[in-house]
Amino acid sequence: MRRLKQRPMRDQSRDNQIERAIARAFNNGGRYSRRAFLRRAGRGAVVAGGALTLPSILAACGIRPGASGSAAPSAAGMVGGGDTAGNLVFANWPLYIDQDEETGESPTLQQFTEATEIEVDYQEAIQDNQEFFGTIQPALSAGQDTAWDMIVPTDWMVGKMIGLGYLEQFDVAASVPNFVANAADKYKNPSYDADNLHSVPWQSGITGIAYNPELTGRELTSFADLLDPEFEGKIGMFSEVRDALSLALLHNGVQPKDATEEEVRAAAAVLEEQAPLVRGYYGNEYAQELANGSLAATMAWSGDVFQLQFDNPDLRFIVPEAGGILWIDNLTIPKEAKHPNDALAFMDFVFQPEIAAQITEYVNYICPVPAAQEIIRAHAQEATDEGDQETAEYLTSVADSELVFPSDEMLSNLHSYKVLSEEEEALWNELYQEITQG
Amino acid sequence: MAGWLRRHGGLIPYLFLLPGGLWLVVFFVLPMLTMASVALQEGTLGTGFRLTFNVGIFPEVLGRYSEQFLRSVLYALVVTGLTLAIGYPMAYTIAFRGGRYKNVLLLLVILPFFTSFIIRTISWKFILADQGFLLGTLKEIGILDDGFRLLATPIAVISGITYNYLPFVVLPLYVALEKIDYKLVEAATDLYASRRQAFLRVTLPLSMSGVFAGSLLAFIPAAGDYINAELLGGTRETTMIGNVVQTLYLTNNDYPQASAISLILMLGLIGGVLLYTRALRGQELTV
Repeated sequence: MRRLKQRPMRDQSRDNQIERAIARAFNNGGRYSRRAFLRRAGRGAVVAGGALTLPSILAACGIRPGASGSAAPSAAGMVGGGDTAGNLVFANWPLYIDQDEETGESPTLQQFTEATEIEVDYQEAIQDNQEFFGTIQPALSAGQDTAWDMIVPTDWMVGKMIGLGYLEQFDVAASVPNFVANAADKYKNPSYDADNLHSVPWQSGITGIAYNPELTGRELTSFADLLDPEFEGKIGMFSEVRDALSLALLHNGVQPKDATEEEVRAAAAVLEEQAPLVRGYYGNEYAQELANGSLAATMAWSGDVFQLQFDNPDLRFIVPEAGGILWIDNLTIPKEAKHPNDALAFMDFVFQPEIAAQITEYVNYICPVPAAQEIIRAHAQEATDEGDQETAEYLTSVADSELVFPSDEMLSNLHSYKVLSEEEEALWNELYQEITQG
Repeated sequence: MAGWLRRHGGLIPYLFLLPGGLWLVVFFVLPMLTMASVALQEGTLGTGFRLTFNVGIFPEVLGRYSEQFLRSVLYALVVTGLTLAIGYPMAYTIAFRGGRYKNVLLLLVILPFFTSFIIRTISWKFILADQGFLLGTLKEIGILDDGFRLLATPIAVISGITYNYLPFVVLPLYVALEKIDYKLVEAATDLYASRRQAFLRVTLPLSMSGVFAGSLLAFIPAAGDYINAELLGGTRETTMIGNVVQTLYLTNNDYPQASAISLILMLGLIGGVLLYTRALRGQELTV
């Protein structure tokens, strides 16, 4: 039986808001915060004291270099084509797969095990790209097994790990045929991983602008609206350097992935000039400020706004005229993984439209399989026939949302992060820290 | 064993110190040494860090982040003053006028500790939100201008820190005041001291140990606080040195700079505390 998570009621009380905010701050699922908030926590600035985990502290003590300079990926060793081992150790972000309300089990994982006889050891081990990287980097740089067969880094981290020679290669056409058959073109041959030699997308989302028309008094269209002195003290920005500088680069007419140092400095100058108007530089807590009316316009992640709209249907999310960012989290196999064939089997399994739809109905991120949209519509119709109006409405809103199934027009205006070298990363961080913290 | 102890009885006090001493070595001394070592290294996460004894890093970060250092000290001083101003009358009332409600009142003081302070700080965000029930109401009845806000200002940050550390000040003040023999105050008034004189010359000097302990307990954590600055501030103008360390460690992976700042902050606080102790020497500081 298909069971959907409970949706927040539109007229929810202040108590619920508080409860949600707390769940959000603690990175810990409440009934109302099933999805985005938790996962998002890792992307932006970390909210609470929980940030100083053992791995990050250990990483701080580590003196070991990342990888030898010559660690370019070897052309020879591709994985795939062999027998599965019956085991898959899978590290994912919290609440990033479907989950049955009653049993807590994931139908997708159960069906995968039934179909392939591969047992999945599924762990919500990734809270933050950098931090998770810190936990596996010592093993990878020593050429050892990380204990994971499959991990889910964001696109720029995929690029970084490829550069360090930390990801296994595979022949996507031979090993993941469902990807080739069913994924949207936008996800094929991405800039961070040519020919999908190391990765296939899991879920993705958009970095754009959200606003509250009641407070702005007009519709917004571009990043220039976030530079408007009229909204002084009501503008929110991300503390995440890649998102913020990329939007500013696009505003200046520069493709983030081609940005030169000069262009990055020019983009930083735009943000420096904007700084006096900005109310704050936020991690995932921007969503709360937008919801409670403290922010009129803010940088935003599509998934959060999709959920906030259940409480406040007036909130809008736009891709700025000059372009937004499509970030993609990917299924990848770390070097020396013990069960690469099992990981490939899973990748192929989830690119079946029916399975992709099942996951999307739960997580509400952008689904890389366009055919899932019609399947979700069909599920909505089934629910209507069964008389379950609430579920039907919910499923219809998922299938109809541009934030879950973006139109081609929207997709054509979305761009990728730049994969930064270490020097570039240091420069970006330094430039942005001067803007956000002085 | 018993015989050994009898022969080496002088060692017993050291044995008692052993667990605490080991604890401090493992969880304080070693991390301190690591931090000092990391501060003197150069490199990046990708190429690794090497110990180069780069002492130049200390003046470098001190110059680069002087504004945030000064802001932290300033905020901490204001917070200390506020907590004393609010906490002293509270502790005084509980100690001398609490009567049979003393324990209840003390419980109320520490009651907030039963919830995580992050939850309490987030609740502040709701109370102080631009359209929240405090400001929203005041705006609606026209007392406040529509654009007025408290969140994301130094006022919110300082208030938040003050609130969070208030109990740390009230408790030592209470302990100091509570053990004052009230007969001394009565004796002073019997000898024609006004109430004001009795307070200034008897009660206050006798409670200085509480003022000393309370002010340190407020000042030291306040100077290193970053949660309040992040949740209630979040702007460039409210960035404290703790936020800088957090960003350097977790976002920029610039471990040497972050370690150097932490060391400077710690040594600065130790120096400040020593000066403070010296300034109060001669007062009755034994608890």
